[in-house]
Formats: sequence, structure tokens, C-alpha cells
Amino acid sequence: MKAKLHSQLQAQIKKLDSISAAPAILTPLLNMLRLPSDKIRVEKVVELVSYDGSIAAQCLRLANSPLFGCREIETVRSAVMALGLERVRSILFGLYVNRVIPQDKWVIDPDAFWRHSLGCALVTQRMAQKIEYPEPEKAYMAGLLHDLGFLVNSVLYNEDFRECLRRAAEQHVPLHVIEEQVLGFTHCESGQMLCEHWGLSKELVDAARCHHDVSLLPTAGPLACLVHLSDLLCRARYLGYGYDEIMGVDLGSDAAWQTLVTTFPALGNMDLVRFTLDIDGAMDKIVATVDSVFGVKKIAALATT
Amino acid sequence: MKADEVEFVAEVARAGAGLSVERDKLYVIESRLAPVARREGFGSIRDLLLAARHRREGKLMWAVVEAMAGGETSFFRDPAIFARFRDEMLPELARRRGRAPVRVWSAGCSTGEEPYTLAMFLLEEKDKLLAGWTFDILATDLNDNSLEAARAGIYGEYALRNTSDVLRRKYFKDAGDKKLQANDLLKAPIRFDRINLSDDSKMLFQKGIDVIFCCNVLIYFDLASKRRVVQHFYSNLLPGGYLFMGHAESLFQVNESFRLVHFLGTTAYSKPTALQAAGAKK
Repeated sequence: MKAKLHSQLQAQIKKLDSISAAPAILTPLLNMLRLPSDKIRVEKVVELVSYDGSIAAQCLRLANSPLFGCREIETVRSAVMALGLERVRSILFGLYVNRVIPQDKWVIDPDAFWRHSLGCALVTQRMAQKIEYPEPEKAYMAGLLHDLGFLVNSVLYNEDFRECLRRAAEQHVPLHVIEEQVLGFTHCESGQMLCEHWGLSKELVDAARCHHDVSLLPTAGPLACLVHLSDLLCRARYLGYGYDEIMGVDLGSDAAWQTLVTTFPALGNMDLVRFTLDIDGAMDKIVATVDSVFGVKKIAALATT
Repeated sequence: MKADEVEFVAEVARAGAGLSVERDKLYVIESRLAPVARREGFGSIRDLLLAARHRREGKLMWAVVEAMAGGETSFFRDPAIFARFRDEMLPELARRRGRAPVRVWSAGCSTGEEPYTLAMFLLEEKDKLLAGWTFDILATDLNDNSLEAARAGIYGEYALRNTSDVLRRKYFKDAGDKKLQANDLLKAPIRFDRINLSDDSKMLFQKGIDVIFCCNVLIYFDLASKRRVVQHFYSNLLPGGYLFMGHAESLFQVNESFRLVHFLGTTAYSKPTALQAAGAKK
């Protein structure tokens, strides 16, 4: 039964591209940025970014946002240099995703979605740096994209997904628990398929798939574990899906934490209370950044539907 | 402290909570801000104020306001803590323990705002979640003057600023001079007592506690005393019990037995049940 559901879902996801209104320039840009970093031509990236006014504007906005210290950056070139290629890639993905979803299809409040995604990206990256994970930018990306399944579900299963969110909010339980009951699959699975369809790396695919249950992988990679923990932390700090969850999470006993501690002993020296306070302190910045970068307008907040 | 720093503190305290700071009492200002600077990880008051001023960070600004409010705290000061206590811990207790009496300890209760807030939360649930239960609140402090004020239960507008009109009418009576006094209904579940948290002999006798609130008290303790107090708390609590501390307080490298639990908007430490402890050892 599940296999049939999955193949149906997969077929639907393949059609997603055709209904999207993503600017043509995004595809070559993302293809370019998918290359190994020594193969990327920065000048070409700057050129492509400059072609699309809205993409260029987003890069400038982020480069001038509180997260990057509000410097006065006025050219696309210096914005790209200030942000770094990985960050430019993240912005592009964000934009791409934003345009894949027709405005009337948003089920979750876009503000809440981007705050959660960006919050999770920043927390994953921060945690990655703390434990000396070699690729913190990749960790950022994994955090940003882990909930792509929300968007798949919003577009393809709009009414049912709306019902999931309504029930989850009413019962104060995690969304994936209700998705399993109503849809028969979760945003983790649909997110995994979209990531695969877009040709993202296996680690990013795994992070999307396992961010609620790292035991799904025989050996969960560090990225999946990091995203799982940051997702929980963000939800515990009002950076969740826009409703209050009953939780009581013991991160130290979590399987993901245990897995990470064996690979990265530095994690054992992390004071989680301090770390959580850091997130509280960064919250204003996260919110300001989301607002300035994505400029998301509240389209269909849950409360009004 | 320089004049402009004093001015800044006075302005923040006025804008934040309508407090008037006496600018000439430098020693008072400094003695209140020094622990905040230490707690927030700054080398000096000057660094704390610089950070608060230039980063305009809400948390730091509020810390300055609170310090200037002195011992005068307020009801419902940290709503997330009390909301989690009511929405997550009480139902869990109900499941685990049936209708056994609930015992809550406000350790370092100062002038009583915390235990009275707890009493209001519990009394409000008396006919709902806690129907048929009994509960009592132990409220202790080291300072006799604070305890005396707590027993009297008379508060001004600053302390009551987060208390709704409904609750004011239900649990307070007019004490004149724009002040309100806790009524007998509110006082009934609370037992006030003088306990020095460093007094081992007294600490040993506190047993069978479900939840301990000890917020912003241990920040003034050195590491060795803190370890001792927290170890006592661990024995005082029933398995599955919780310890709440202040926002910036952590048991990292203080105690290994407690487990840190993240709730929405707050964190608490839990004493594992036998089952949880066995699971952790596997």
C-alpha cells in the first residue's frame, strides 16, 4: 500500500516543475552552483545573478541585512563575494521554492515556514561549527531545505495537508504524526523525493528524509543528526510551524545526539542551556533576516482559515 | 561608572518598567548591575552597558531593568515556565501518580511573588485538572525581611502588572495606598519557612517534592556550594520530578544526574524515573 502511495507521489512530484513559475535564470544558476567549488566561475555567477532583478535584489538585501553586519554593499559582485557562493545558492533555493508554490496553495503561514527553515539553517550551521563539522555551509543548506516536503504537500495535497495542520495545532502534537494518519506519508518522505528529483546530494536527501527519525537510516550521517536536533531546538524556541506544541525533549538522550557524540567529542562539552540562550539572542536577527530576504507577505495564516 | 552610563541605566529602567533610579546612589546601581554583568558573561558593568546600548539587545536591556527593580519582582514573571508547569507537568503527574498530594517548593521565594503565582495557577486548576487533588506549596527564603513581606503579601502596581483583573479580584483584597493584599484563599496552600539552602541538616528533611522552582538564586553561589545545593534538590525530588531555574542558569558541569529537558519557550531539569534511568544505562 505504502509502495503504491510512494510511486503516485513520485509521479506527481515530477510534474511539479511544469506548474512552477520559477524564473528561467534559476535553473542554469543552480546547475552552475551545483558544481564542485573549484569549478564554479564566480564571474559567471555574478553575471547570471545580475540578469534577474529580483534575485540580485535578494542578494543585496541579505548582504546588507543584520546577519551580515548591515554593511553598505551596493553592487551584485560585492554582494556575492560577501555572501559566499554557498549562501548565494541557499538564497536561490529559497527563491526557487517560493516561486514553485503558487500563492493560493500555501497551507502553512509562509512567514512561519521561512522562519523555521532559516532558523533551522542557522542553528544547524552554528552547531556544526561548535562540533567542528568540516562543512558548516552544507549544514546550513541541510537545515534550510529539510522541510521541503511541506511545500510538496501544500501543492499536491492541499486540502488534506490543511486538515493535518489544523489537527496538529488543535492537539498540540508534531505535524508528522498527523500526516502519517491522514496522508499515509509525511513531509519527510515527500521532501526526500523532491530533493532527489532536484538532484541534491545524498546527504541533503537523507537529512530531509530522517529529520524526525534518525533511526530510519542504518547509519545516520552527521548532517541528518544535526538537522534533527536543530529542528527540535527551533521548535522549542518558538521557531516552529506557527502553533504551540506539547514537547518535553531530552536532547542529551536523543539517538541523534548519541550518534554525534561518538563522532564529534566536542559535542560533549556543549552547554545546551547556553546554546539555547544564544538562539534566543539571535532570534530577532533571524526574524529580521527572513523579513528582509524573503519579504514574505502573510498569505494564509492558519488562524484565518 | 560614568555619568552617561548612569543616565542610560536610569532611562532604560524608566522606559522598561517605570522605575525611578536615584542617580546619586552609585553604589546601589553598581551593586545591582555587577551580578548581571557576571551572569551574562561580561568582564565589567561598563562592558554590559556597552553591549546593551549598542546591540539594543532586548534580553540585556531587560536584565538591566530587572536588576534595577531590585528584589521587587512580579507575578507571572516568566509566563513560559508557569504555562509548561500547568500544561505539561501537571497532566504528567496526574497520569503517573493519581491523586496523591502535589508538593511544590519555591526555593528562594524572596518577597513571595513566585509562590503566590504558583498558588494562583494551582487554584485555577482546582476544579479542572486537579479536581479532587490536594496540593501544597513550600516557600522558603534565607532573608527574614523578605519572608515577612512574603507572609504579609502586599504588593504595588509594578509587581501586579501582569496579573489580570479577574485574578486580582479573586485572590487579592484592597490594602489601601493603591496596593493589594493576598487574600486567605491565596495564602492557604502556601507554607512559608526560613531555609538556608546551604544548611545541609535542613535540606535533608525536604522530601517527596514534585517540582522545585529555584530561579536566579544559585547565580550568587560559588561552584562548590551550587553543587551541594543541587545534589540536595536531586534527593528532595521524587523520581520524575522537575527543577526549574532562571533563564541563564545551567547545571552544565554542576550536576550530571539531572537531565535537561527542552519545553516550548523554556527548559527544566528532570530527575529520571527508575525506568528512564535504566533505559539510559543500556
